[in-house]
Amino acid sequence: MLGFAGRRLAASLVLVWVVVSLVFMVIHLIPGDPAELLLSQGGVAPDAASVAELREQLGLDRPLGAQYLTYLSGLAHGDFGASLQDQHPVAEEIALRLPRTLELVGMAALLAVVIGLPLGVLAALRSGHVIDRILSDLAGLALSVPVFVVGTLLVLVLAQKLHWVSAGGYVALAVNPLRHLGLLMMPAGTIAVGLAAVVFRVTRGAALEVLERDHVRAAQARGASPAVIIRCHVVRNAATSVITVVGLHLGALLGGTVLVEFVFNWPGLSGYLVRSVEARDYPEVMGIVLVISVLFVLLNLIVELLYGVIDPRVRRG
Amino acid sequence: MVLSVNRRGIIAGAAALPFLRMQGARAATPGVLTFGLSAPPSAINPWANTGTAAATIKLMIYRGLVSFDPAGNLRGELAESWTREGEHGWVFKLRDATFQNGEKVISADVKWTIEQIAAEKSTAYFRAEMQQIERVETPDDLTVRFITKTPLATLPIWMASYHLPIISRNSPKGSFVGAGPFVLKAQERGVSIDLEAFPGYYKKGLPKLKAIRVLAYPDENLRVAALQSGDIDLIEYVPWQAMDAVSANPALKLDAVEGAFMFLVFNASKPPFNDARVRKAVAHAIKRDELVKAAFFGRGQPLEHLPIAASSAFFNPELAHGWAYDPALSKKLLAEAGFANGISCSLLSTAQYGMHKDTAEVVQQHLAAVGIKVELNLPDWATRVAIGNRGQYDMAVMGTAADSNDPDGIATIIDGSLSPSYVRSFGLKTEKITALLAAGRAELDEAKRKTIYRDLEKVAIEEAPLVGLTWRSQGYGMRKAVTGFQNMPGALTFYSGLTFETASVD
Repeated sequence: MLGFAGRRLAASLVLVWVVVSLVFMVIHLIPGDPAELLLSQGGVAPDAASVAELREQLGLDRPLGAQYLTYLSGLAHGDFGASLQDQHPVAEEIALRLPRTLELVGMAALLAVVIGLPLGVLAALRSGHVIDRILSDLAGLALSVPVFVVGTLLVLVLAQKLHWVSAGGYVALAVNPLRHLGLLMMPAGTIAVGLAAVVFRVTRGAALEVLERDHVRAAQARGASPAVIIRCHVVRNAATSVITVVGLHLGALLGGTVLVEFVFNWPGLSGYLVRSVEARDYPEVMGIVLVISVLFVLLNLIVELLYGVIDPRVRRG
Repeated sequence: MVLSVNRRGIIAGAAALPFLRMQGARAATPGVLTFGLSAPPSAINPWANTGTAAATIKLMIYRGLVSFDPAGNLRGELAESWTREGEHGWVFKLRDATFQNGEKVISADVKWTIEQIAAEKSTAYFRAEMQQIERVETPDDLTVRFITKTPLATLPIWMASYHLPIISRNSPKGSFVGAGPFVLKAQERGVSIDLEAFPGYYKKGLPKLKAIRVLAYPDENLRVAALQSGDIDLIEYVPWQAMDAVSANPALKLDAVEGAFMFLVFNASKPPFNDARVRKAVAHAIKRDELVKAAFFGRGQPLEHLPIAASSAFFNPELAHGWAYDPALSKKLLAEAGFANGISCSLLSTAQYGMHKDTAEVVQQHLAAVGIKVELNLPDWATRVAIGNRGQYDMAVMGTAADSNDPDGIATIIDGSLSPSYVRSFGLKTEKITALLAAGRAELDEAKRKTIYRDLEKVAIEEAPLVGLTWRSQGYGMRKAVTGFQNMPGALTFYSGLTFETASVD
């Protein structure tokens, strides 16, 4: 088992190195000079000597290979480097923003399950009836509306028309827990709309299948109450599929909440990544991509190790 | 009474959370103004250009020798007066003012500041300009004498730039102590900046506000939504499509000026745009009214000459329609240049900013009507800047504001003798223009300066170092409870941050 874990860990480290190297090459290959961009903001022409000086200060005048080695050696020492724009440590900023994105994604998943799971079971139980058709149509609609439309509508109705909530923004949990939660609900709710529809469909499908199984029919024949059948057989069996699907979506959401973060001014990791790419802030882009890819690789590693625990044949393979 | 907590109650409470009306969301702290900025400032460096968002913050924290009054005229700041001394000298008399570290502002601080900007390792915006100062003399604590290498009429205007604040020579390494009305208290990178009034500010009774909370709202629609819902008191960069709604809202007011402008630049290092006739043909082929409607929702004005505002003392009405829409003339000019059968070329713009993309699309249509077939290239902004600097384009859309309302403020976009830059045409040197700009900079007599800049505009209309397209409206939206904040006129719109010192909010 230890040998298996060691092999997987080594493979994962190589994978992370490959990702980091690829991103380093790609971000340096695309046009755009961070020093030039920083001093050109607002559509003005910077002094050429000032740009050259800034490039030298930031070490951008060195050969690409030397920059790459410096970066790798920094990483080996746990140093993610500093922003080219204001020399702010990248690791510090990621440590600040990653939990916000995780919180957003986590709350969205929670809302999606709380809404999608019971409605999915209900639709399966009433399969073919009006309520099933209405819920299925609503799920179709929720899946087809882009997040920025849902988000903009929420802002328009709840913030601009009804004045119930702020139009967006962020307040730290430690500063004001209630406002923090209130501000979290709109972006999380926006992501949850589509995700809940996915959960609904998966639950409905799984529940329909379970309801047809012999042991459920037998339980019904034995006179078990509908509540027991739903809790012990339907929900429990459907949960496995729901967890798989939600898990897959969470991975994708880690770097994919850009639009929602933008629409609600939520200062998370995705928006940070977009702004870093726009500014060609190499250390920031590298740091964020590194963290996201490590999280992905880690998730895969855990899954593979779990397979190994469940099925000994995987370990030998 | 016994409070019982059950599962149903918790679920019901959690479900109701999003619908709680959050009173704390309203911007209603007396004396504290909440300001929605269009971009998180990348870095607040007193002397380097890091964008207009950072410049607005700089105007809260720092002050220079000179600045602009709300009408756009030069006014003394840390200097109470300035006079010319001979051909090469300028003398500034300082007033009694204090830095935010409690020390007096003296001539040695001014000398130190200029030396930092002109230093070899400097990344300052005015580095080249300050290197034109031969030496800075400090005869006493309140007198500074600049001796310039060549006569410089524009020195006081440079000194009014937000890139030229005076910083205490005793600032701790890596930080910059200024003498502005607000002190930077806290900053959450990319999210918010908190500033408090500086009690030792040299203008008695100012600033009126106790504090300013600056929040970054990069999404323009959310910025407007936050203003309309009452989350914030003031926003910059009101999107053009929302200007009517802000004006019509009884709780809000819009303060808009035509300050920034859009124009076309050319790659004159190769045919066809190395021929002035072809550039002029482009200038006469564009219906600017349609551009204003399509790209700016009618919030702008056609620009058919050099970007010198009608309110400027240097405006020449007889030249104001020098590039008026005249497709017949366009075709004639093309034929004269040997392109009677038309031209195929590329037009560089960016898809990252709607106004740049929309402008490019309308220009493409209008040029097609005179036989200029244009292929659009719309990369992200960073790529567009790089391509522009390297001259890898035929024609490009550009937008900016002049450095000041003085005609010398457009020198950077029309002087082809400067190093290649995406803001001006590539490889287009017009000696007459460079010579006239230099003459204008050296001349002190206003009447003579007017003649110089009129001659310059005449040459520019013939040579088309750029082609003006539209003035665009630049707007601040605010709650009616906000008073004393003003959008500065013309090119100075990005200096409006100066008026935070007189702003107040009920």
